[in-house]
Amino acid sequence: MADPVFIGVAVLTVGSAIIALETRELIYGAIALAISMLGVAGFFLLLDAPFVAMFQIAVYVGAVAVLIIFTVMLVRTQALFSVKEDKKRKGAGIALMLIIMASLGALLLASGLNGQFGNFNDSEAIDFREIGEQMLTYYAPTLIIMALTLAGSVIAALALARREEVTSIDGEGQQNGRTD
Amino acid sequence: MASYPQNFRFGEFVGSILWLVFWVLIIVTLVGLPLVFIVLFYVPLPPIGDEVLTPYLFLTMVVDPSRTIPIVEHLMTTDLFRVAVFPGFTYGALIGGLTIFIERKFLAKMQLRVGPLYAGKIEGIFQLIADGLKLIAKEIIVPSGADKPIFWAAPIAFVSVSAAVVTLIPVAPGWVVADLDVGLLAVFAILGFFPLIALLFSWASNSKYPFIGGLRALHQMIAFEIPFILSALSVVILSGTLNLTGVVEAQLQSYWFIFFVPISAFVFYISSLAELERIPFDLPEAESEIVAGWLTETSGMIYGLLQLGSYIKTYALAALFVVLFLGGWAGPQVFPQEFHTPLVDISPLYDPVAANATLWFTLKTFGMIMLFLLPRGISPRIRIDILLHTGWYKLIVLTFINMFIALALIYGGILGPGGLLVR
Repeated sequence: MADPVFIGVAVLTVGSAIIALETRELIYGAIALAISMLGVAGFFLLLDAPFVAMFQIAVYVGAVAVLIIFTVMLVRTQALFSVKEDKKRKGAGIALMLIIMASLGALLLASGLNGQFGNFNDSEAIDFREIGEQMLTYYAPTLIIMALTLAGSVIAALALARREEVTSIDGEGQQNGRTD
Repeated sequence: MASYPQNFRFGEFVGSILWLVFWVLIIVTLVGLPLVFIVLFYVPLPPIGDEVLTPYLFLTMVVDPSRTIPIVEHLMTTDLFRVAVFPGFTYGALIGGLTIFIERKFLAKMQLRVGPLYAGKIEGIFQLIADGLKLIAKEIIVPSGADKPIFWAAPIAFVSVSAAVVTLIPVAPGWVVADLDVGLLAVFAILGFFPLIALLFSWASNSKYPFIGGLRALHQMIAFEIPFILSALSVVILSGTLNLTGVVEAQLQSYWFIFFVPISAFVFYISSLAELERIPFDLPEAESEIVAGWLTETSGMIYGLLQLGSYIKTYALAALFVVLFLGGWAGPQVFPQEFHTPLVDISPLYDPVAANATLWFTLKTFGMIMLFLLPRGISPRIRIDILLHTGWYKLIVLTFINMFIALALIYGGILGPGGLLVR
């Protein structure tokens, strides 16, 4: 329970998440969010899932955090913070979060998940080859449905982007009075 | 002519020296000896051969060079040595520093110039030291309105992230800092930090040219990240592992992967150039358009750190190319099995296999670095729309061609377990 690495990663993750919520500088909030995502990757490493941890870093820190920071840099921050925060709302929010966390924790402790898997310290790292095999054999239908969903959304996004481009070119052409 | 104070007296001179001796003795007794005893009592001491390395033994060994060998041998097995010296930071930084000098001389010879000439007697070999001293001596100017914490932290983060890539590269069998099962993925995960740092630093500089450069860096690195990962994927298909040492061992058992997947190697080379912001993809630092891109507001050692980081990154990506496509440390044995030196016998430190592997790895890496430097002498900068089009449309398609070739090689029984070309 008192694993110092676990406590360190937990403090890092939760602390930077709180900073991400509370800081008035949007850019620091975005950086804190990236650090919080790194902390989640640290949890995956502690849970012997390096494959997921690396993808967590590559996707969330390398792509999502970059996207958020990029957006924050282009947005004027003055317009967002015109309304001062209400202290009562803040207190209520923290109380609500504590209630939800406590009830979820109580549920988990009372459920069959608690203590079912025994000691995690001796278990070996999860082999991603096994995950791949399972994905292609037992979970193949799920994989196919996920692939179809992703392909459908990518094609839809492409179609949307393409139509917009075509209309804008047409609009320009009509405005300039071209007939081609 | 030496001068001495008018009221010089020999007795006072001797007295001052005696005072010095007295203070040294006091400090040694009150601080030095207790320190030795604290070390003896509380620090777990490493065993050297039969005996335990106590401070007394250490002092004895330092006096006699032949007896320091066991200490050095022990130090070479520690993690600190690996991180700080051989496959880690110092090795990468040395190769990076050499690259800076070689780049200037090489480009100068290509363009019929002389290059650095005056620092040092022969061909300006001390130019790098002179540049380093100059950078350390210069004032660091933080622009007004800059975001100070990010401005100071970004160069350090840049160097540390570059060094983190170096730790994953296997230089010789067993000589790697972090031998991860998912080593290749870890490399790409760490490389994902670079656009973040460039963007944050350019924003923190509070100036328009760095910001334009940072946005260009972001666009360029993200556009080339996908072909970069996909081109390495065909190597993963051929070797069946993500562990970089495993990739090299798979090539030792068959042939270098560049013969099977040349298109992937080409795409990897182009994407590396884009990732390193080298000409012809140096749009983030385009000095004729936006002053110096995202490095515009840097000065002194901040510039030095960013340059050091980018050259360590050059070494890391060249080494990654060697590991993935050129067989890593594979090469004929040129070092003799026994090696005797006249004064001090260093044979316990001498490992012919590791020395040979390091030699071939370093040679191949330098070859790759020269290939990275070559376009700077012959190619102009390309336009940003052509760059993005190349990244998103052409290179991705090319990698898919070679991925199918790799799959055909595996399923055709030519490579992979029990394949035709596997020795």
